[in-house]
Amino acid sequence: MLWAYFYCYQLTLDAYKKDGGATDWEIPVVVYHEQGNQVVQANSQAIKEGIECGQGLAQAAALCPHVHILGFNRDTEKETLLFLAHRLYPLASDIVIDAHNAIAIRLDNLLQYYGGLNALWHVLISELHSAGIHYYFATAWGVEAARLLAHNKTNRYTDNKESIILLLSRCRLEQTSLDSKTIATLAKVGVRQVGQLLKLPVHELGQRFSNDTIRYLTALRGETFPKYVLFRPSEKFQRTKTLSFEVENTQHLLPSIKSLLVTLEHYLRARNLLTSSIIFRVHFREEEPLSIEVNGAMPFAAQKDWLALIELKIETLLLPEPAIAISLTCQQFEPIENDGNDFFSHRFTTVAQKQLIGRLKAKLGDASTLHPKAGNSHTFEGMTVNQVVETTPAYTADIAPAFLFQHPMPLNLATRICFGPIRLQTQWWSSAASQKDYFIAETSHGVRLLVFKDAKASWWTQGVYS
Amino acid sequence: MNIPISPINETRSKAALFDKHPHIWRAREKPISENKFLLGTRVLDEALHGGIATSGVVRIASLTGIGEITLFKQVLTTHRAHKLRVFIKPPAQLQAPWLSGLGVDLEQVIVVLPKTDQEALWAAEQCLKSAACHCVLLWNNTMNAKAARRLQVAASHNDTLCLLFTSPHQQGASFPIALDLSLHIRDAQLVVNIIKQRHGWPVSNIVIPHSWTPNNHAIQSAMQNNKKTEPTLHSVI
Repeated sequence: MLWAYFYCYQLTLDAYKKDGGATDWEIPVVVYHEQGNQVVQANSQAIKEGIECGQGLAQAAALCPHVHILGFNRDTEKETLLFLAHRLYPLASDIVIDAHNAIAIRLDNLLQYYGGLNALWHVLISELHSAGIHYYFATAWGVEAARLLAHNKTNRYTDNKESIILLLSRCRLEQTSLDSKTIATLAKVGVRQVGQLLKLPVHELGQRFSNDTIRYLTALRGETFPKYVLFRPSEKFQRTKTLSFEVENTQHLLPSIKSLLVTLEHYLRARNLLTSSIIFRVHFREEEPLSIEVNGAMPFAAQKDWLALIELKIETLLLPEPAIAISLTCQQFEPIENDGNDFFSHRFTTVAQKQLIGRLKAKLGDASTLHPKAGNSHTFEGMTVNQVVETTPAYTADIAPAFLFQHPMPLNLATRICFGPIRLQTQWWSSAASQKDYFIAETSHGVRLLVFKDAKASWWTQGVYS
Repeated sequence: MNIPISPINETRSKAALFDKHPHIWRAREKPISENKFLLGTRVLDEALHGGIATSGVVRIASLTGIGEITLFKQVLTTHRAHKLRVFIKPPAQLQAPWLSGLGVDLEQVIVVLPKTDQEALWAAEQCLKSAACHCVLLWNNTMNAKAARRLQVAASHNDTLCLLFTSPHQQGASFPIALDLSLHIRDAQLVVNIIKQRHGWPVSNIVIPHSWTPNNHAIQSAMQNNKKTEPTLHSVI
């Protein structure tokens, strides 16, 4: 077996930089771990100022007063790591998420597909590089050995057993996963390096140390292979982004939304999928999260298309209080249909039509854009429906007006009848049963109106012919 | 070395520049042939030199209900059948049977009901730019020259037609659009005034016979015919 181990030592910084935070040469940024009161990650600018990992906040601030401080959060790092695993999954099958900041990939079963270690390695490295992650790496026969080498900043990849043994033997015991008590005990007898420890026979060690230590040592030697839970990509897309500052104006959410959409686009593109519905959730300190559902009239993947819709959607949105995080969920996916109709021009207009309807609905509201359809009623009021529930027999009439008023208005103009009468009796079973005699009447200006005389012989106007 | 340009030369070269410019039309020139949609009325089509332009904004100042849409029936129904006809902010609820009667495919009709005129203009511009529409029918009484210009550019660049319906009181301002019409009814006939058209002179008082609603003529003539034939019928019996 051959495993590669990537120890991502500054995930929070990398994620911050990728989200458009301060670039490396601008301002010093450190990641501060509250519980341990120590700086755990520092960018090159901060290191130049003299800040080192392990320093307290006071010392760091004294060295560099304008340092930018990010909070350390194990879960956020883990999520960044999971996203990285999602990116790597199409390239490598066996991926192990180790703690919150390391990833192990089994290489030996992939070698035959990639044609050698070199080719495989470059594929993996270029993906990690494009993800913008800093890491230490190593390869070894097992996850344990590779982890030790990576923590030792080996940064070499090899499948040569001898050189791996040589590299391992140089590692110091403090870098192993052994507990401090064992390390202290070993130090007392002069064992300080892994090489010395590995030379000791196992049965002798077994008499003095716990089973865990022995298990670790055999794994380090490559004699046993502990079981690891392999990474499985999730069925739905979910990603949360903590905002680098509290946002009150929805326009300032757009860069974060854009970066979330870019990740969604990557996700969908890699899987040859499209989606027609995404949900944003804006998180606040006190209030319940605010859900924004965005529906496209047709499924698509491109970040550009979604962003255009969302810009319209949030234009009118008011945040109840400053937002601290935003998440994007996408649960419904649709495969890309390759039905080859693209050659016909009308296909493009179908796409354009759907895009247009999507845009109009996003800006003006869902109820603003309608498709008039013939309805299942012989009265003028029911002859047009805007949403068809099912295919019903449709009524139509030659004398239907172009426009129908919302409510009939009393006719108070001098008119001349030019067509009629047509008597319409509404459904006796409906509560507002009535009988109307319809006419087309013309006013002195030549405007033709649909007028009716009700059972009480009063005249009303209800529509107009354009 | 500088060549001195005499003032006469300069004016000549300017004149030549204007002569070549495609957007400057001189009254002595013949109308430029461009793609047109026939309206189906001979007198009007002749006055318009072959119908209305296939793209651009056409303003129609008229009362609602004098057959102002029916006048464009042929334009609405016969061209670019696979594209949308969008009705933006119609004066009242648009009726499906009437559209079917006109010959419009209901599948290709969208009604947009924006809350404000500003939103209506935005929607119209989006529709014109989308390349999905054959024709946008917009009802708006608060149009200004700048907005009209925007629509005209959006329409002509995307080969789309925009019919802009305004009330007759709105005629005052002149807009940079393809065609400006005003309609009214006189003695049961439709009178069209071409206030402004590209590559042509304004024409007033074009009277066209117009029928846009069913009438009782069939019944009346049938009854008259019946009266005539009654005696013969009796004689047969």
